[in-house]
Amino acid sequence: MNPGEIAIRAERLAKQFGDFMAVKGVSFVVRGGEIFGFLGPNGSGKTTTIRMLLGLLKPSSGEVEVLGIRVVQDPAAIRPRVGYMSQQFSLYRDLTVEQNLRFYGTAYGLGGERLKERMGQAIEMAGLRGLERMITRDLSGGWRQRLALGATLLHDPSVLFLDEPTAGVDPLSRRAFWELLYELVERGVTVFVTTHYMDEAEHCHRLAFLQRGEIIAIGSPEEIKRDMMHGAVFEAAVSDSTRAYELLRERARMKRLGIQSVELYGALLHIWLVDHAAGAEAIPAELAAAGLQVFDLRRIEPSLEDVFIACMRSGKPSR
Amino acid sequence: MRSALRRIASLAIKEFIHLRRDWWLPAFMLLGGAIELVLVGWATSRPMTNLPLMVLDGDRSAASRAFVVDLGNTGTFRAPEWVDDQAEIEAALLRGEINAAVILPRGFAEQVRSASGRPVVAVLLNGAESLPATAARRAIEGVARSWGDRIAVERVGLDSQQLESFFPSLRVWFNESLSEALYTTPAELGLMLEFTVLIFAALSISRERELGTLEQLLVMPFSSLEIIIGKAIPAMLIGFTDFLLMLGMVNMVFGVPLRGSLALLLILALGYVLVELSKGLAISVFARSQHQAFLLVMMVGMADFMFTGYAVPVETMPLILQKAANLVPAHHWLAILRGILLKASGIDVLWPHAAALVGLGLVIGGASLRYVRRALN
Repeated sequence: MNPGEIAIRAERLAKQFGDFMAVKGVSFVVRGGEIFGFLGPNGSGKTTTIRMLLGLLKPSSGEVEVLGIRVVQDPAAIRPRVGYMSQQFSLYRDLTVEQNLRFYGTAYGLGGERLKERMGQAIEMAGLRGLERMITRDLSGGWRQRLALGATLLHDPSVLFLDEPTAGVDPLSRRAFWELLYELVERGVTVFVTTHYMDEAEHCHRLAFLQRGEIIAIGSPEEIKRDMMHGAVFEAAVSDSTRAYELLRERARMKRLGIQSVELYGALLHIWLVDHAAGAEAIPAELAAAGLQVFDLRRIEPSLEDVFIACMRSGKPSR
Repeated sequence: MRSALRRIASLAIKEFIHLRRDWWLPAFMLLGGAIELVLVGWATSRPMTNLPLMVLDGDRSAASRAFVVDLGNTGTFRAPEWVDDQAEIEAALLRGEINAAVILPRGFAEQVRSASGRPVVAVLLNGAESLPATAARRAIEGVARSWGDRIAVERVGLDSQQLESFFPSLRVWFNESLSEALYTTPAELGLMLEFTVLIFAALSISRERELGTLEQLLVMPFSSLEIIIGKAIPAMLIGFTDFLLMLGMVNMVFGVPLRGSLALLLILALGYVLVELSKGLAISVFARSQHQAFLLVMMVGMADFMFTGYAVPVETMPLILQKAANLVPAHHWLAILRGILLKASGIDVLWPHAAALVGLGLVIGGASLRYVRRALN
C-alpha cells in the first residue's frame, strides 16, 4: 500500500449493547503508513471500535472499510492482510516461543524455508534469540509483548491493530516497543493503536480523542493542542499545593478569574486560563489573600495530557 | 483446499501440544477411567460375602446351633458373634458394626420337634445399608425355607426323597452366570467414551475464551468449520484411544466377550462419538470458562446416564421417561454396545438403535454445528 492511500475508513460507525450506546457514530480515516492513535478513558468505546474494524463485532450501523474491503460484508477477506494484538496477551502461554510462532505462521499459510525465515526474523526482532524453547509463560511482560507483535507480523500484514499493546509493561520495554512500531511504519505498515498513555499518544502521527463513544477531537498532536486549548496553561509552585488546588477549583466552579480548570501535577499546579492576561495577575493576589505563597507562576507549553484532561472535563456532557 | 487442511492440521497439532503440557487431564481420563472400570467390575463381580452377623441364642439347643451353622454355610456371613443380651445387638446396630442379627428364642428346638409347633426366628437388619441387608435377608429366608420344607416333610411322615419341590427351570442367555460385571463394565465403558469426548470437546474452545486467545483465533484466517474440525480431531482421537484400551481391558480382565462384529462396533462408535462431539463443542462455545464447561458436561452426562439403563432399567421408568430415553443418544449407544458384546447382535437386530443414533446425530449435530458456527462468526 502506498503512503497516503486510505487504509481504514469508518463512516458513522455505531454499536449499541441493549440500552447502552457504546460507540455513537464515529467517522475517521487512517492513511497508509501512519500511526493512528485512539485515545480515551476506560469504557469510552476504544475496544468496541477496534473489534468492529476487525469484523469481530457487527456494527449496529455505519460502514467500515479496511484496505478497500467492506469488513461487515466480507470479514474473511481482510484476515490475511491485517494483524491484531488484543488487550489480553494473545499467545498460548503453555507453548514455547517457537511453537507459538510456528502455529501462527502455518495458520497464515507459511511453510518450509519461508516459515523458517520469517520465524527467525520475528525472534530476532523480539530479541528472543536463544530463548526459542522457553515456555511463553516464563517470559517477562516486555518480551511477551514483543513476541506477540512478532507473531502478528509473521504474515506481513499491511495494517496492524493494537489494542492497548503496552498496558502493564515497564517504561523501557514500552520505548523499545514503540521503536519497533516506527520501524514498521517506515516499511509501509499502517498502525492503528489504542492507548491511554499520554506519552505514547505524542508519538502518534494522528490522534482521535474518544469520550463516551464519541470522537471529541481528531488530528495531529500539534493540531489538537492548537485547536482544543483556548487560552493558556500556567504552572504554579505554591507553599501549600493542596489548599491552593482546592481554592482555585472553587474559583473555577464559580467561573471567576478566567480559570477553566486546575490539575495537580505532583507538588505543582497546572492552571488552564481562558483569559490569561487577567488571570495571571489575579491568581497570586487571590492566593496571597488566603495566606498562600506563590513561589513561581509561568506559562508552559500544554502537554497532550493537559489537553486530554481539559477535553474530558469540558467535553460535551452527553447525557 | 490444501491451505484449509494445513490450517486444520496446525490447529490440531497445537491442541495436542496443550494436551501434552496439561498432561494430567488426558492421563486422568485414561487412568482414572481404567481404575474406575477395574473397581466397578471387581466390586460388582463378587457376590456379597463375609457380612458381620450377631446371634442371640436363647435356646442353646442342638437345633438352634444347627440353624446358625446353616446360616454360616450360605457363605453370606462371617463367623457369627454370639451374645447374651439384646441390648448388645441394638448397640451394635446403632454403631453400624453388623448388618444382621438373628434371635433364636427359648423353646426353638421344642417348637421344631413338636407336631403342632411354630418355630420362630427374629431377624434384625441394618436397613441403612440396604444392599447388604437385602443379601442377609435373602440368605436367612433361604435357610428358613429349607427348614420349613424339612419340618413339613417330617410332620406328614414323608421321606424327604419323596417330596419334589417346585422350581422354575432356568436357562440364562447371553450371560450364563448372571455376572453383574458383564452388565456393568460395558455400561461403564460406554459412558466413559461419552464423558471423555464431551470433556475434551467442551474444554477446547472454552479454554481459549478463558485465556483470551479465542479473539486472536477468530481474526486469523480460520473459517469456523476449520476451527471446529481442528478442535474435534484431538477430542475424537483421545476418546477412541480410551475406548479401545478399555475394551481390551474389560475383555481380558473381566472376560467380557466380543461376540459380535468389531467392525460394526467401531463404525457405530464413530457415529456416537460424532454426536457427543457436537454436543461438547456446543457446550464449549456456550460456556464462559472452563469451569462452567466442566460443570455443564457433568450435568448433561448425568442426565444421559439416567437413561442408559445402567443405574435403573429404563423399562421400569414412567412411560414419559421411557419415551424420552429414545431421544438420548447414549441410550441407543449402550443398547448397541451390549448387543454387540454380549449377544452377537448384527445390524439386522440393531438397526432401530443405529437408525435412531444417526437420526439424533443429524439433528443434534446439525443444530450444534449451526450454533457453534454462529457463535464463532
